[in-house]
Amino acid sequence: MSITMNGWVKNSCLVLVCLFLWQARVEAKQLAVVVAKTNATSALTAADLAKLFKLDGAKWPDGKNVTLVFFDPSSADMQIALQKIYKMQPDEFKTWMASHRASILFVHSEEELLKAVESVPGAVGLIDVYSITNRINVVKVDGKLPLEQGYLLRGN
Amino acid sequence: MKGIRACFSIFLFACALLAWLPATASQSKRPRTDITVTTRSARARAHFETGLDKYQTLHVEDALENWRKATREDPHFALAHILLSQFAEDPTEQVSERDKALATKKFAGKEEQVVIDWLSATSKGQWVPAIQAMNSALHDYGAHKEVVWLAANWLVAQQQWARSLPLYERLNAMDPNFADAWNSAAYSYAHTRQFDKAFAAMQRYTELLPGEPNPHDSFAEISRMAGKFDDALAHYRAALKIDPSFIVSQEGLADTYALMGEESRARTEYATAIAKATNVQAVTWGLQSAATYVREGNDALADLAFEDVAMQARSRGFGNLEAQAYRTMAMYQRDGAKARQLLDKALAVLDEEQQVSKVLLDQERAVVLRSRIYRAIQDGDLPAATATLKQLEDLSGSSADASVTANFDSASGAVLLARGEYLDAIMHLESDERNPYSLRNLIVAYDGNGAHDQAELAAQRLAGFNEPTIEQALVVPAFRRNHGAAPVETKPAGGAISSARRM
Repeated sequence: MSITMNGWVKNSCLVLVCLFLWQARVEAKQLAVVVAKTNATSALTAADLAKLFKLDGAKWPDGKNVTLVFFDPSSADMQIALQKIYKMQPDEFKTWMASHRASILFVHSEEELLKAVESVPGAVGLIDVYSITNRINVVKVDGKLPLEQGYLLRGN
Repeated sequence: MKGIRACFSIFLFACALLAWLPATASQSKRPRTDITVTTRSARARAHFETGLDKYQTLHVEDALENWRKATREDPHFALAHILLSQFAEDPTEQVSERDKALATKKFAGKEEQVVIDWLSATSKGQWVPAIQAMNSALHDYGAHKEVVWLAANWLVAQQQWARSLPLYERLNAMDPNFADAWNSAAYSYAHTRQFDKAFAAMQRYTELLPGEPNPHDSFAEISRMAGKFDDALAHYRAALKIDPSFIVSQEGLADTYALMGEESRARTEYATAIAKATNVQAVTWGLQSAATYVREGNDALADLAFEDVAMQARSRGFGNLEAQAYRTMAMYQRDGAKARQLLDKALAVLDEEQQVSKVLLDQERAVVLRSRIYRAIQDGDLPAATATLKQLEDLSGSSADASVTANFDSASGAVLLARGEYLDAIMHLESDERNPYSLRNLIVAYDGNGAHDQAELAAQRLAGFNEPTIEQALVVPAFRRNHGAAPVETKPAGGAISSARRM
């Protein structure tokens, strides 16, 4: 038996479901859209998010150019982005990236991604929601934050 | 004699005065853990620390009572209020203590304030600020054992097993004698299917608390998760030998026999557990016992047993459990009309005026609606499934409860799968991987989407699913029979499980 917050007794699933207020979030991986604290954008529609990430002429409201902060394209996070934002096949995405290299910054860790988003003007990134810190802002997508029902950027 | 009495009175007064004196500084560090604890009352501090010790050795009621005493001694003791809000079982106490923590936050130190921000946001279902505050606490105070322990436990509560592990490993390195960290680490390893590490951590936990029943109970549960039923039985018996009143181990024994297919023996063990149980345990374990007839395929006796438990639940005012009995009956019925009738009956019970909290009623309502959707799909009535899904979506949208959300995901996945929309089905089903119905649907969805390796992994996971639920009883044994699988999950070559599995 092990107990955690809100009296969750691990070895008694029925007790868990029947007796206690269970606040655990049973979720697949969810990505947060993160920007610098100085970025005034707090919400985007899914369509605007796609324009932004496809560098489709989109700029930030203050006129800054968009810089995308990416992990390796084969990472799980990028696979979700591919599926939910770009809606492209991997090869197509590679070609797209090659033609937009100047606006993409590749990082190798979550810490690097957070630092880049904080410090590079106009930067925006995608990060596992459980890694967000209060050094960055999280942008709503279609009025929803990560872990809210119906949030777009969730998946494998 | 009089002089001695006077001296003794002075001594008692001095003791009482010392206990009431504020700490020499407004903040002081707990030497054992380093978390900053702010209180003006030495007695409150002592109760708080005793509460932590009690909680970390799983004496939960004692822990809560000590924290309650701490807040009575010092009503401005914000950290004690917030821990009560997180660990109390009574939902009304959770909310009132959270509000008291927020009201008294200004009296707390900076570290405590971050913890209060994190846990109060959690309590309000504000997940983004909660995570930000947790990571901030870990960044600034990651060397403080209690902060790391809280964060690891918090992640486990969010079912983020893999993410909790580095924190438990840090705790094990910081204090190799911190028993609770070994126990919790073992569960996280087990949930990420790293059973070798789980058993090693459990071994250490057992060595640290040789006279306690819980290490054996934990060892038993993890053995059962790994499909090692004989080991599970031995450890449950060892726990009961140490403390015959540790009845969760008695129930564990019964659950294990049920999973092993020894249903008659399971019923005997459930009866022993029920004889020593509280009212709510008696009804809950009565449902488990009734499910043994389902495992035997004896629907008639199952009906009688579930009807009996439904009546017990009704007489004790447990409307959610009464509804659960009818809903469970519906789940194994072969006749669709009878199943629908039972599901209607379950919903009617939930609609009655009940003394049970709305949270619990909503949780059961979600499972009833999910069962209706499964049944409609089984009967080929996709429009009915879609209409019920809308009801479940509305319920889920108005609830912050994760089990309601999980049921919505399971049902959405089932409907999308029935429509052949594999990718979207996968997205939902992956959110409910502890439900054998969802795992079974996930296998089909992966295959439909061409992800055969993932389908194989999901199949192995389903075959190795050993939680004693009615869903397990209805899905897993049949799946094993059809696929010639054993109850032990096998790891494919190349260690693909850890990289492919999302926990």
